[in-house]
Amino acid sequence: MAVARAESPGLSRFVLPIAGLIGLGLCVGGLLVLLDPDGGANLLASIYEALGNISGATDLRNGSGDQVIAKILLAAIALAVGVGGIWLLFLGVGGLVSLLQPKWRDRILPWVFAGPALVLLAVFLVYPAAGTIYRSFTDNHGQFTLANFAVMVEPEFTQILRNNAIWLIVGTGGSVLLGLIFAGLFDRVRREALAKTLVFLPLAISLVGASVIWGFVYAWQPAGQPQIGLLNAIVVGLGGEPIPWLTTSPINVFCEIVIMIWLQTGFAMVVFSAAIKGVSGEIIEAARLDGASERQLFLRVIVPMIRGSIITVATTIAIVTLKIFDIVYVTTGGRFNDDVVANRMFHEIFQFFDDGRGAALATLLFIAVLPVMYINLRNFKRQQAEG
Amino acid sequence: MAQRLRTTSALAVVVMLLVGACGSSTTPSPSVSAAPTAAPTAAASASAEPSVAPSAPPAAAVPAVPTGYTELDQALGADKPFSGKTVSIQTQWIGGEGINFAASVADFAAATGIKVQIDSIGSSHETVLKTRIEGGKPPDLAMLAQPTPVLAYAAAGKVFDVAKFMDAKKLSDEHPATIGLVTQGANIWGIPYKADVKSTVWYPMKAFEAKGYKVPTTWDELIALSDKIVADGSNPWCVSAGGPGDATGWQLTDWVEEVVLKTKGLDYYNDWISHKVTFEDQGIKDAFNLVGKILFTPNYVFGGNTAIVASDMKTVMDPMFTDDLANPKCWMQKIPTWYGPDFFPDQRVSGQPSKYVLGTDVGIFPFPTIDPAQKNVEGSADTLMVLVDRPEVRAVAQFLATPEGIQNWIRAGSAISANSTTPADWYAGAYKLQVAADIANSAAGIGFDASDLMPGKVGAGTFWTESDKWALAGGTNTDAVLKAIDDSWPAQ
Repeated sequence: MAVARAESPGLSRFVLPIAGLIGLGLCVGGLLVLLDPDGGANLLASIYEALGNISGATDLRNGSGDQVIAKILLAAIALAVGVGGIWLLFLGVGGLVSLLQPKWRDRILPWVFAGPALVLLAVFLVYPAAGTIYRSFTDNHGQFTLANFAVMVEPEFTQILRNNAIWLIVGTGGSVLLGLIFAGLFDRVRREALAKTLVFLPLAISLVGASVIWGFVYAWQPAGQPQIGLLNAIVVGLGGEPIPWLTTSPINVFCEIVIMIWLQTGFAMVVFSAAIKGVSGEIIEAARLDGASERQLFLRVIVPMIRGSIITVATTIAIVTLKIFDIVYVTTGGRFNDDVVANRMFHEIFQFFDDGRGAALATLLFIAVLPVMYINLRNFKRQQAEG
Repeated sequence: MAQRLRTTSALAVVVMLLVGACGSSTTPSPSVSAAPTAAPTAAASASAEPSVAPSAPPAAAVPAVPTGYTELDQALGADKPFSGKTVSIQTQWIGGEGINFAASVADFAAATGIKVQIDSIGSSHETVLKTRIEGGKPPDLAMLAQPTPVLAYAAAGKVFDVAKFMDAKKLSDEHPATIGLVTQGANIWGIPYKADVKSTVWYPMKAFEAKGYKVPTTWDELIALSDKIVADGSNPWCVSAGGPGDATGWQLTDWVEEVVLKTKGLDYYNDWISHKVTFEDQGIKDAFNLVGKILFTPNYVFGGNTAIVASDMKTVMDPMFTDDLANPKCWMQKIPTWYGPDFFPDQRVSGQPSKYVLGTDVGIFPFPTIDPAQKNVEGSADTLMVLVDRPEVRAVAQFLATPEGIQNWIRAGSAISANSTTPADWYAGAYKLQVAADIANSAAGIGFDASDLMPGKVGAGTFWTESDKWALAGGTNTDAVLKAIDDSWPAQ
């Protein structure tokens, strides 16, 4: 901008507003296409007509033809409108603000850039969160009640809370511990990249996909039938009776946690591995010279030095385990004493039509996540201070 | 809740659905049979062949004008006023059921030019539907298997009263058994579409003959047969609670409901639904114990009580097909009429029509009578909700209220219309539908699926989970389970 202004101040005065208006017009046009349910197909049909492909255009308007291309076109428009619109907004408002006096400009400009993010945060995070907390204090008729929280002390719900606690401790602990062990061991093997890739691979699988896969591992057939489940095939092969892993409480909770550990260990390992590589060789050498054994070296030197990474990974996984839903929903639906807060919240809202109870569970989950978030933020601040 | 007409006692409802009325009574004016659409009678004769897939091109499944419904008549008019308009409908039907429903509306879409967009959601149907409705962008129409959420959506003002644009008397007369479930005063919140009979037991016919087993007609005969099969070294029953995963438990509630209907009668059954009779009542406890007699007697259920909760409803009957049904490892499964060859192991895997023929290889018998004075059967129905009110949406809803709205599904041998004016001969030649008709015909009354009418917290919640726990414990915790269900009943 500055360059253009320097060269021809007269021209740029017109070019910029005109370009802005054209951009705005394109954005509005794009929005109109996006709002129309058949917008993509109609637009593509118009393009086809312009190119002379009349039959292709007719097919599209009738709901057949290249619908995939129409959808790709729609996605491209959405992307352009989204990115371009925000860019125009920043440019326009930024331009307006820069016309102000420097004193005011410096005060307002940060809000201009942070503004859209803050608005989005308020609309999509703060407003729903406040609404959820409000709902948790109402019954099905919208009247104020504390009953939604009062029931949480009943065995039905204490069991759910207990399961979540098991998830938190075993799931987080298991992932961190295994991740640490793998990171420490793989640091010394020759094919480190291959080994790490193999452990990291499950992270690419969705929770639902992993639950389906492990559903086959835990599958149960009556004794005497061919066991299609890996675990029970082993058990029967060793002469045992098949065990219904997923319906037997309390082992089903742990069987489900194993799925989570399988997924999250890779994440923990990669972060730890990077942190270990960051530990200075001089320190390790110094420890060796002082006569530290390899175990002492790992536990007394390396682990304390990567403490920040451990806290980050632990809190991240802790939040995932607190919110756990997919694995329980897919494997058992939480119907065998293995229910968790998020799954119960889903059932309260979508099957029992009890929005207040569901909101209370969501609020509870929110409160449970808060301390973990706090630890994470404090750790982040300290790392920044140290760095 | 109180004025809800849950069952039509002493009125053999599905009798009317299946065998009662005659087709000509639905076409008020025979003079217009020259209209381009086929009259129901013509369609019926085309579908009378016993084949599952009609060989000759059948007449289009579209009702004759006038249909008795304003918008439907307009839609079927020569100028096709709604041509090009789109109507969306969300259903839970996928796979074979999804194909059959799509076929049911295909002829209508072709005749009217209305684009019917079917959103087949499957097992997360209720979740997606609630999100769409509360998000303010509902589908135009939606199917629901349970009346309870229909009434909940109605109470929240999300559903249109179909009595506003459809003849309420005609609707009620044509759906005598089911319309009461979604009627509140003068408001009718939905249109019953597809009915099912739940009191059915599936069994390997030829193997029964080879062993000399007779189809039991009383509880004592059922137990005697079960004992005989055990003595012959096999397991009589395959039972799945319904799972795996989220829906586990509904099959067990069906068992209990069946026995309550057959021991205590309809009035008691309805009081149970409204919780005037509690789960801890002796009659319900007796029903649990009778069901437990089958589920928990050693060697009765293939795989024992662990198999009940660990088995998948889709595969639980596979052991019956051992050695091509010649050597069944289990002999009987209680499951509703919507079950069918698409669940048999060969068709389930290959997608090709099963080599096992219904009526010769695999048979269906009515669940035996327990108390001769209580010859009731259990049924269920899917309801259509109107969520957006536009003329073309009305036309589709009205079409689905006519027998022709499900005719192509009936032709596939797999559905029963909830409309009692459906011509009886449409069902001719389809073994499953005839069995369903016979069961309904001999019934004193029809009870609607109780768990579908109880509050969701119980009917899709504790009644399921506690029944699962009951099965897992081999029936040793009946008292605790019944108390837990009663305790969970919502106040108000």
